[in-house]
Amino acid sequence: MSKREWLDFVDRLINEDEMEVIGVRAKGSKFQFAPIDSSEELRLDYNVTILPPKKQLLPPHEDLMTYDISKPFNVLSSKDEGKKILIGVHPYDVIAIQQMDEIYLGTHRDEHYDARRKNTLIIASDILNVPERSFSGSLGTHVVEDGFDLLITDLGDMVAVTIGTKEGEELLNTFAEPGEATDEDEMKVKRLRDELPAKYQRKLKVDKYQWEKLLEENYDHPIWEENSKKCLTCGSCTLVCPTCFCYDVEDVMNINMKEGKRVRTWDGCLLRDFTLVAGGEVFREDLKDRYRHRYYRKGLFLPMRNGFVACVGCGRCATQCLPDIADPCDVINTLASYSMHEKVNFPIPDVKQAGIEEGLLVPEPATIVKKERMTELETLYEIKLDSGKELGHKPGQFIELSIFGIGEAPISVSSSPGGMTFELLVRRIGHVTNKLESLEVGEKIGIRGPFGNGFDVKDLEGKDILFVSGGCGLAPTRSLINYVMEHRDDFGRVTILYGCKDPKAILFDRDLRSWGDVKDVTVKRTVDSCPDGECWDGDVGLITTLIPPLDMDPENTIGIVVGPPIMYKFVIKELKAKKIPDDNIIVSLERRMKCGVGKCGHCQMNGIYVCLEGPVFKYNDVKDIPEAF
Amino acid sequence: MVKDVNIHVKHLTRVEGHGNIYFNTKNGEVSNILWEVDEAPRFFEAFVRGKSYDQLSHLTSRICGICSIGHSIASLRATEAAMGVQISEQTELLRRLALHGENLQSHSLHVGYLVAPDLIGAPSVVPLVKTHTDAVIKIVTLHKFANYLSDLTCGRTIHPITLEVGGFTSIPTEKQLVEVKKQIIDTMVVTGEVAGIVLANAHKLPDFQRESEFIGLTADDHYPYYKGDVASTDGGMWPPESYLDITNEYVVPQSTAKHCKHNRDSYMVGALARFNLNYRHLSDEAKAVAEMFGLEPVCYNPYMNSIAQLVEIMDSLVDSTRIIDQLLSNGLKNETSEVEIRPGRGVGAVEVPRGLLFHDYTIDGLGNCIKANCVIPTNQNHGNIQKDMEAIGPTLVGKPEKEIELTLEMLVRAYDPCISCSTHYLDVKFL
Amino acid sequence: MKPKVAFFDFASCEGCQLEVINLEEKIIDLIDVVEIVSFREAMKEHSDEYDIAFIEGSIQRPMDEERLKKIRGNAKILVALGACACIGGVNKLRNEWSVDNVKEEVYGDADIEGNKLFDAFPTKAINEVVDVDFYIPGCPINKVEFAKVVSHLAIGKTPQLPNYPVCVECKKNENICVFELGKFCLGPVTRAGCNAICPQFQDGCEGCRGFLEDPKMEAQKDVLRKYGIRLDDMMKRFNMFNYKKGVY
Repeated sequence: MSKREWLDFVDRLINEDEMEVIGVRAKGSKFQFAPIDSSEELRLDYNVTILPPKKQLLPPHEDLMTYDISKPFNVLSSKDEGKKILIGVHPYDVIAIQQMDEIYLGTHRDEHYDARRKNTLIIASDILNVPERSFSGSLGTHVVEDGFDLLITDLGDMVAVTIGTKEGEELLNTFAEPGEATDEDEMKVKRLRDELPAKYQRKLKVDKYQWEKLLEENYDHPIWEENSKKCLTCGSCTLVCPTCFCYDVEDVMNINMKEGKRVRTWDGCLLRDFTLVAGGEVFREDLKDRYRHRYYRKGLFLPMRNGFVACVGCGRCATQCLPDIADPCDVINTLASYSMHEKVNFPIPDVKQAGIEEGLLVPEPATIVKKERMTELETLYEIKLDSGKELGHKPGQFIELSIFGIGEAPISVSSSPGGMTFELLVRRIGHVTNKLESLEVGEKIGIRGPFGNGFDVKDLEGKDILFVSGGCGLAPTRSLINYVMEHRDDFGRVTILYGCKDPKAILFDRDLRSWGDVKDVTVKRTVDSCPDGECWDGDVGLITTLIPPLDMDPENTIGIVVGPPIMYKFVIKELKAKKIPDDNIIVSLERRMKCGVGKCGHCQMNGIYVCLEGPVFKYNDVKDIPEAF
Repeated sequence: MVKDVNIHVKHLTRVEGHGNIYFNTKNGEVSNILWEVDEAPRFFEAFVRGKSYDQLSHLTSRICGICSIGHSIASLRATEAAMGVQISEQTELLRRLALHGENLQSHSLHVGYLVAPDLIGAPSVVPLVKTHTDAVIKIVTLHKFANYLSDLTCGRTIHPITLEVGGFTSIPTEKQLVEVKKQIIDTMVVTGEVAGIVLANAHKLPDFQRESEFIGLTADDHYPYYKGDVASTDGGMWPPESYLDITNEYVVPQSTAKHCKHNRDSYMVGALARFNLNYRHLSDEAKAVAEMFGLEPVCYNPYMNSIAQLVEIMDSLVDSTRIIDQLLSNGLKNETSEVEIRPGRGVGAVEVPRGLLFHDYTIDGLGNCIKANCVIPTNQNHGNIQKDMEAIGPTLVGKPEKEIELTLEMLVRAYDPCISCSTHYLDVKFL
Repeated sequence: MKPKVAFFDFASCEGCQLEVINLEEKIIDLIDVVEIVSFREAMKEHSDEYDIAFIEGSIQRPMDEERLKKIRGNAKILVALGACACIGGVNKLRNEWSVDNVKEEVYGDADIEGNKLFDAFPTKAINEVVDVDFYIPGCPINKVEFAKVVSHLAIGKTPQLPNYPVCVECKKNENICVFELGKFCLGPVTRAGCNAICPQFQDGCEGCRGFLEDPKMEAQKDVLRKYGIRLDDMMKRFNMFNYKKGVY
């Protein structure tokens, strides 16, 4: 169609009340995607926008749900189903959106993203001016074949339109009368695309299939340390990235203390508090590790998972980084020039999980039916889903517990599978768990889940089982122990070792004693120290001291180790000393699991999402993962 | 035998900053009447020494949260005068609009939140939320609009962001200006209603007269806030540069704020002074508000300052529409501030809500400030407050203590003192 | 029982309390949730019975120090309101000189010797005098953040300040980086929470919310050098709200 016809087409779309037209327009000397009032504002000659069009599908701040805490359980999803048309999306951003679709609509569908995506039409545009820092020409993301509804090519006096979908075709035919493209037109479009790569100033020395190998071989390359010294840790590189998708969630109350909302905001792995857990520990404290993680995530971990490099070469990160250390093109080229050739493996355990199709974000109502204080810090809650359904969990899985107005916290399930209620052992350590303590029996909470990979009970059948639990680690283990007790004949000898700080901190003492009464079950309890005058009938000393005297058949024994981070190294050393093969050791790890479904990014250790592949792992699968222990 | 009265209002409420009132009688005579300011001194003029010219307005705006826009603009005008920086017509118009935003904000806060409770007979606006809900909502609407106008022109109503030497870092869009203008029309209606509420309670304003001098900016053709010559109701006109001959600051032992005097023992600045000096330039809509209260120039009743503020609210709204029309007909331009560093000294005189404000800077060849002086409206009023108290004091003897206290508190409040502002200056003339 | 709340001010411009008043109609909601028992700028009512004290301003004189300690004694929770209270803010700039020097500059040769109203010591942030439970930084405070802290305290959630730099908010708001406009900005080392309001209006961050717990000062200085800013000019701007003797 002619330029005039194209502009008329855009104006007709703008005048349509049903949908919002978001186009590329100038913002000072830069560009942004924003609502346009007239086709004249549209700037197809732009190089790159400050933020990618991702913000229309996953906004920097979005309300997930609203609620009224003056009522027992009053929660409404705040899905945005407004119709939108994005005009002027460059090929690299189209590809980035395809990647986002894979993340948010693949396994475990995010209903908010889904609602926006379904209602958004994309009119892509071929690149006319190459952004200065872009290297999309080297990645092949400067052109695109699908992922758009319409693709336009501005040829000066004419605009060529490529139809991508039926919806796109319908839109075009409803609001314009396009003519048939001539061979000459098609040649022009082809020439424009073919000539693009030569216009790039920045080029990768290796193709995108080399990224994984380069990263595998350079985990300890000096560039990570050197560049991280210049890093401001401002997070800009991740925040402007079209393929970054990590988020944080926060509850915000209105000042009237009745209505509130749960808000999702962009987060980024460069920011220190990204890996902060309620206890105050930061799992990726060293700036070098955070700096490196971004490259590994984009160039190795996500490709391993999804099959594509999570970088489209738009150059936004490089443009925004003040010390100029965020450019993947620079970093990959450096690695290509000076490779360390020291291969490190980052295997991702293959865990099969049923995908969640809906109701991923909004918790379902549940009621506290029983509350029992265990120690000064820990309380056991019995919970019932208001739907009357079973929770349907496996031992070792966790749920996300919501208190509206406060937030969500991941809690492992302590009871064995089945039954109309389930139990949670909760340590008061953060906002949610502190508030929970003030709730009474009968009050409502929200539950999402169960999530994660639990213990595979079938794998344990016929084996001797050695449980080693420290402190709160007994909470997830108890679920499995109870299961084993309920199916006692399916398992061999059972030994339960439990250690905690002092007699006052002991958890599930009644259970420990009753398990000890079962045939062929040995229970040993120990405390790190016992203050004078305290009554205590167990051992005194670290839990590791209980292992050497045990009599066991190492080949047929499965060691299940769950406890505070510090415990693993020492316990596993003792198990190895007992000749238990690594293959027979199972651990459960703790991270800050915010979403529960591998999207928010907080629980990731190297390539592994603790919420998806864990929290229960075969030791063999994680022992070489640098960030695991 | 008359009982002795001893009133000490420690930290007078519903004013900006810390001031105390003392009133004592002995044998039926006033033995002591004192307006004391014990606000902690903050030494602005001392610490701006050595700071860069482009930091000065951002630092001195922190003198006062309520009139930070006024301080910024006085500061910019002084800096621009010192360095010979020219500004565009658009910048001047937008600055005038910003001053109106602040005038509206400060006056509506004062009349609505601080003075109205006295007239209605409540300790504060809080109980009025329940008893006079409609009135409170109207006042909130007015105040909110004022902040919206300030936010739009300055980025932020408290400690403006966009105001810079030579111009603006960022300006509103034409669309936003059109929207503001629409809202002004509605706000004028609300202002009329608020005036009605005040009028219904205006009998509570004491009928007290004391002939005094009023000083403020004046101009030939408009009611000036942004620039003009300094004039007095006792006659005379001076350029702002000779402000030291007008203000004659001096330190008194009961105050960390300096006092001022000109033709008489004391003078007054502020809305009433501007009203008395520039009545002829008020819009018809504003004059109509004055008429509701029988307010005419020259009015010597300081309690009527709050009414003059109400008049100015209406006038600021009217003038804002004129400014917006002018801006829209000129078309908004994206200008960049052109600044060349040059040494010199400059004075900026601006009418801020509480009256005439002077900033005076000396800038060196590197663009750093080497000397600064700020004369704040409330300073200029402290002496007049004291003199008013001395005059009204004897008429209060024999009245119930509560009434004496309220009358004196209302007097100080009428001046809308900005006490934290008034505790920083220099070049003292100790008399 | 509604928590009882009081506001107090010391050396300051009272802009932070004004920012509270600028909540406009939301104050009506606020007074449904908390009972304001003292707010001198806006109320005559006063009581010394309060749970939460909000303190604006920094401490300049022995008499202020005494008053603050008394407030701390009465309050269960004490919250620092604004830059002057949290970090000293612009008030600390005078600490570059001796008290005598600044007094002479401001009051000249007036006879203020021995007058306790003028009895100043070098400016202190309030945590240099009493323990502070929570901080609401900024010059002025951000009223949205104030409302958030109040609602957190009311619902029993510990208020937490963002522990990331202003850049994060700039990016989320799609601001043009002010460095690209040739301006000085402290955003990369300054605690966010202001919604990057200054850069939003194309002015650089001046650090009024205080620096991060672990600011990357050397990296920041490298960046400023790259943009041609001299060290002495840098220090003047680093010091604006975060005065420190010696060089950052």
